Amino acid sequence: MDAVVLIENVANALAAGITIGCIYGLMCIGLGLIFGIMRIVNFAQGELLMLGMYASLYLVTGAGVLAFLGPYAGPFIGALCAGPIVFVGGVLLHKLLISRVSGLRTTGSLDEGHFGQLIVTLGISLILQNGGLIVFGSTPQAVRTPLASRAIEVSGFYGDATIFLNKARLIACGVAIVTAVTLYLLLEYTRLGKALRAAADNPTAATYMGIDVDRAYRIAFGIGSGITAVAGGLMATYLSFGPFIGLDYVIIMYSGVVLGGMGSILGAFWGGLTVGFVQQCSALVLPPQLQNAAIFVVFLLIVMLRPQGLFGRSAERA
Amino acid sequence: MLEIKDLSVAYGGLRALNDVSLSVAEGQFVTVVGPNGAGKSTLFKTICGVVPAVGGTITFQGTDLFKLPAAMRAHRGIAHVPEGRQVFRTLTVRENLEMGAYTKAGRAHWKHTLERIHALFPILLERAGQLAGTLSGGEQQMLAIGRGLASAPRLLMLDEPSMGLAPAVADTIFERISQIHREDGVTILLVEQRVAEALELADHGYVLETGHIVLDGSYEKLLSDDKVRRSYLGLTEA
Amino acid sequence: MRQGAANRLRRETIAVAVVSLVYLGCASLVTNSYYQLILSLVPIWALFGVSWNVLSGYGGQLSFGHASFFGIGAYTVALALLYFNLTPWLGIPLGAVVGAVAGVIIGIPTFRLRGHYFALAMLAYPLAILYVLQYLGFQEVSFPMHREHPLYYLEFSDQRYYTLLAVVLLAAGLLVCMLVENSRFGLALMAIRQNELAAEAAGIDSRRWKMRALVTSGAIAATAGGLYACVLLVLTPDSVFGILVSAQPVVVTLFGGVTSIWGPVIGAAILVPLAESLNAELGNIIPGIQGVVYGAAIIAIILAAPDGLYWTIRDRWFRRALPEPAPVVAVAVAAEPVASVDRSGGELLRVEGLSRSFGGLRAVDGVSFSVASGEILGIIGPNGAGKTTLFNLLNGVLSADEGSATLDGQSMLGRKVHQVCRMGVGRTFQVVRSFPRLPLLDNVVVGAYGAGLPDRSAVDAAVRALARVGLHRQAGTQAGQLTNKQLRLMELARALAGGPRLLLLDETLAGLGRDECDEVLDVLQRLRDDGMTIAIIEHTMHAMMRIADRFVVLDHGSVLASGAPRDVVEDRAVIEAYLGKKWLARQNA
Repeated sequence: MDAVVLIENVANALAAGITIGCIYGLMCIGLGLIFGIMRIVNFAQGELLMLGMYASLYLVTGAGVLAFLGPYAGPFIGALCAGPIVFVGGVLLHKLLISRVSGLRTTGSLDEGHFGQLIVTLGISLILQNGGLIVFGSTPQAVRTPLASRAIEVSGFYGDATIFLNKARLIACGVAIVTAVTLYLLLEYTRLGKALRAAADNPTAATYMGIDVDRAYRIAFGIGSGITAVAGGLMATYLSFGPFIGLDYVIIMYSGVVLGGMGSILGAFWGGLTVGFVQQCSALVLPPQLQNAAIFVVFLLIVMLRPQGLFGRSAERA
Repeated sequence: MLEIKDLSVAYGGLRALNDVSLSVAEGQFVTVVGPNGAGKSTLFKTICGVVPAVGGTITFQGTDLFKLPAAMRAHRGIAHVPEGRQVFRTLTVRENLEMGAYTKAGRAHWKHTLERIHALFPILLERAGQLAGTLSGGEQQMLAIGRGLASAPRLLMLDEPSMGLAPAVADTIFERISQIHREDGVTILLVEQRVAEALELADHGYVLETGHIVLDGSYEKLLSDDKVRRSYLGLTEA
Repeated sequence: MRQGAANRLRRETIAVAVVSLVYLGCASLVTNSYYQLILSLVPIWALFGVSWNVLSGYGGQLSFGHASFFGIGAYTVALALLYFNLTPWLGIPLGAVVGAVAGVIIGIPTFRLRGHYFALAMLAYPLAILYVLQYLGFQEVSFPMHREHPLYYLEFSDQRYYTLLAVVLLAAGLLVCMLVENSRFGLALMAIRQNELAAEAAGIDSRRWKMRALVTSGAIAATAGGLYACVLLVLTPDSVFGILVSAQPVVVTLFGGVTSIWGPVIGAAILVPLAESLNAELGNIIPGIQGVVYGAAIIAIILAAPDGLYWTIRDRWFRRALPEPAPVVAVAVAAEPVASVDRSGGELLRVEGLSRSFGGLRAVDGVSFSVASGEILGIIGPNGAGKTTLFNLLNGVLSADEGSATLDGQSMLGRKVHQVCRMGVGRTFQVVRSFPRLPLLDNVVVGAYGAGLPDRSAVDAAVRALARVGLHRQAGTQAGQLTNKQLRLMELARALAGGPRLLLLDETLAGLGRDECDEVLDVLQRLRDDGMTIAIIEHTMHAMMRIADRFVVLDHGSVLASGAPRDVVEDRAVIEAYLGKKWLARQNA
C-alpha cells in the first residue's frame, strides 16, 4: 500500500469521524440532560433514538405529512420534526413513570432512586423495543435520500488523495451542530433554561425559588428525549435501522456523557464527538463487527479510569 | 402575617416538632433560637412545604399554606434562605439571583432589587459572572440572602445564616439582615444558634428545644432567663 | 451457619423436594411437546434467576448483563461437543467452571464501579461478546445429531427428560442459594446491600464477598445456559447473549421476589408460561409480545410491590401465620463480665495533627486529642464543625492529608475500613441501617462475623452483645418491628459483637425522646463501667453533660477546647461558638 492510499484512508476516516461525531454529540446531549444533569439513569435512551428514526421515517416517506418536501430536504426536516414528537412522548413517559422513581421523591434516599430508575427504564426499553417490533416490523428501514450516495470530493492536499464527504452526512452534521447550539443557547440564556438548570442543580432550593420542580424535570426529560430523537432522525438518513438499534447506541451515549464530564451540555457534545471519532478511526484497523465491541471496551476504560470525564470541569457535588 | 398553630411534624416515626405555635406580624423581626437538633430547620421546611406536617395549621396572610403546593408558596411572597446556603453551585452568581427573581413580584421589581442587592453586598456584583460553587462560605451566604431578596418577598426566612462562618463575617451578615429589616421593611423570621446576636435584632424571640417551644418573649426577657443558656450548654440546675 | 439455620435448611430442603416432585409429576402427564418445552424452560429460567439473585438480590450489585455467563455456559457446552466430542454431562460442569472464571475476569475491573455505573458496565459485556462471536463466525452453532446415544449426548426425543434434568439442576441451585442465605456469606452480602460503608465498618471485606457472589452467580448462570443449549440444540449469539436474555433473570426474580430463594421460582413459573404461550399464540402476528409482557411486568412490580410477589404476599397475609422461632436464646451469658477490662487509664487512642481538606475547605484542621482507656469522650461542636469527618478519617472511610492516629500504638491511618474494624474499632452511623426482615440476632451477628469469629462463637458474641444493651429478649424479633430506640441499641450491639476496644458513636441519640435518651445513656454508662472506651459525637448537650468524662470541642475543623465538661461549657471560646460573642459580652457586662 503506498503512501497516497494510506493518507487517503486516514483522511477519510478523520472526515467521517468528525461528521458522525457531531451527530453522536447531539445524541449524547439528549442523555447528557437526562443523566448528566438530572441524574436520572435512563436505560431506554437508545429506544428514544430509535423512535426518532421511525418518527422521521413515517413523516417523510410514503403517505407521511412531510412527504411533499421530497427526498432532499424532507429527511432532514423530518429529523427535526421527530424532536417535538418524541418530546411529547418523553414528557408523558416522565409524567406517568419516571417521575415516580426520580426527582424530589428520591433525593436524599440511599441510592438517589437509581435502582428504581434502572428497573423502570429497563422495562420501558423492553416495551419500546418489542413494541417497535410489533408496530414497525423487523424489516430494516432507511430514510432514503439521494444525497446519501453523493459526495463532495476534496483533493489536492497530497498527491492524488481524495476525501469523499458524503453529502447526507455533511448536512446531517450541520443540522446537528445547529440544533446543539440552539439548545445550548436556550439552556444558557432563557428563563426556562436557567430554571431547568437550577432545578437539576438543587431541587429543594429551586422549590424555594418558586420553581415547579416536577414540571421542570418533565420538560427537561422531554427535551432530552427530543434531542436524542433528532439525532436519530439524522442518523436514519445514512444507515438502516430496526427496532433494536437502540441497544447499539445506549452504551455509546453513556460513554460520551461520562467522557464529557457529567453535568455539562458542551461536555456531552465533545464526549459524543470523541466517541464517534474513535469509532470511525477504529475502522482503519478493526473489522466492522468489532467496532462496536471496541466501543464497549472504550466505555469500560472510561468509566473505570476517569469517571469524572475528560472534558470541562467536574460538576460533581462533593 | 404568619400564624402557626399546634404544628406537629414527624420524620419516619420520630417527632421533630410538637404542638409548636408561633406568630409573626407584618413588619416584625422574629427570631427562633435553640440548640442543634431542636427542630428549627424542620420548622422552616414545613413552612416552605418540603416536609409534610402531621397536625396543626399554618396560615400566611389568611391563606392556609397546607393547601398550596410547595413551589407556589414562594409566589405568595415567602422567601427561604435555607440552612447551608444551598446556592445553585453550577449557576453563575447573577443567574442565582435571577432564579431568586423567578416569581412575578421578583421580575416586576428586578431592576430595583438587583441594585439594592448589589448595594447591600457589593461582592455579588464583583463576582456576577462567577460560578456560585466557587464562592467562599461567607460569599455564598450573601448570595443566598440576595437570592431570597430578589423575589421581592413579604416574609424573608433565614435559617442559620451564621453557620460555619468566621465571627467577623457573621457580624456583617447580621448587620445586613438588620438593614434589610429596617430599611426595606421586610418582615423577617430568623433561626439562629448565636443567641445574643439574633435576639438583639428581634422584636420577639422563641426558644425551641427538642421540638417544643419552651420560652418566648422579648430580647430582655429571654436573655435574662437562664433557660437559654442551660438548653444550649446542657447545664442542669446547679 | 446462622442461628437456627439447620432447622430452616431442613424445612426448605423438604419444601424444594416436594415442589420438585409435584412439578415432575404434573410434567410427566403432559403429552403436548410444546407444553413440555415450556415446562422444561420454567426451571431453566428459574435457575438463571437464582443465579442473578445471589449477586444482585442478596448482594445488591445490579447486573443487567447476566447473559454473559448464561451464554458462556451455552457456548462452552456446544463448542466442546462440536470440537472435542465432549458429552454435555461434562460440558455443563465445564461451562460452570468457565462461568466462574468469567466471573473473576469480569469482576476484577467491574467491581471498581458502583451503583448504576456497575449496572451499565455489566450490560456492555454480553453485547461485546456477542459481536466478537459474530466476528469469529459463530452466528449459528448446531449440535451434531446423535440420536443413537441420546443419553450420552443429552439428545432426548422425549422432552420430559430435559424437564427432569432442569428440575434437578434447579433444586441443586436452590440448595446452593439456601446455603448462601443461611451462612455468613448471605449475611455479608445483605449487609453490603444495605450499606456498603456500614458493612465495611463492621469488618466485612466487601470486595471479597462481592467477588465470591459473582463467581457463584456466574457458575450457576453458566449451568443454566449449558442446559438451555442442550434443549435448544441450535445456538445463535442473540439467543443466549441478547438483551432479552439478560433481562430474563432480572424480570423473573424481581417479579417473584428478590432475596428469597423462592422468588425466581415463582416469577419463572408465572411469567415464562405466560410469555411463551403468548409468543406461541400471537408470535406470528405480534412478534415482540414476550418482551412487552416482561417490560410491563417489571414496571408494574417495581411501582406497585417493589419487593416482588413473594414478600408482598408474605407481608400482607402471613405475618401472623409465621411466628418467628421463639427467642432463640434466653441467655445465661447476660451478666458475664467482659474479658478485656482495661482500667489502666492508659492512652488508647491518640490523634495528632490530623487534617483533611475538601477543595479549599479545611474540614478537619490539625486536630489532636487522645482517649484514655475506659473513658467516654464527648465530641461536640456546632453544625459543620467537622465531627463526622473526623470519625471518617479515623476509621478509614476518608484518607487524611496529614497527621497521625494510633490505637494502642498501632497506626490506624492508611488502612481500609474493614481493617480498622479488625483492629478493634467499632463504629455506628447517624442513620441506622438494619435488615428489616431478619431477626435481631442476625442483624447483630454480622458484626461478629465481621470480626472474623467462627459461626458458633459469633452467635455467642452476638447474644452477649444483645444482653449488654438489654435487647436479648427481642433476639428473635424481626428488625423491621423494632422502635427507633431499639434500632439504635441494635446498632450499638452490632458494633459490640465484634469485640471492639474502642467505640466511635456518631449521634447515637439522634431522634430519641428524653426518656429513651436516658435509657440509651444508661447502657453507655454500663459499657463504660465494663471497661469499654467510647468516643461519641452528640448534639444533645444535657445528655453529653451526663455521661461524658471529657469533652473535645470542634469548631471550623479544629479543636476549640478540651477538658472536663464543666470547664468546657464555661470556656469563653466555647460559649462564643455556641451562643455568639455578644452573649459573652453581655454576660460579662
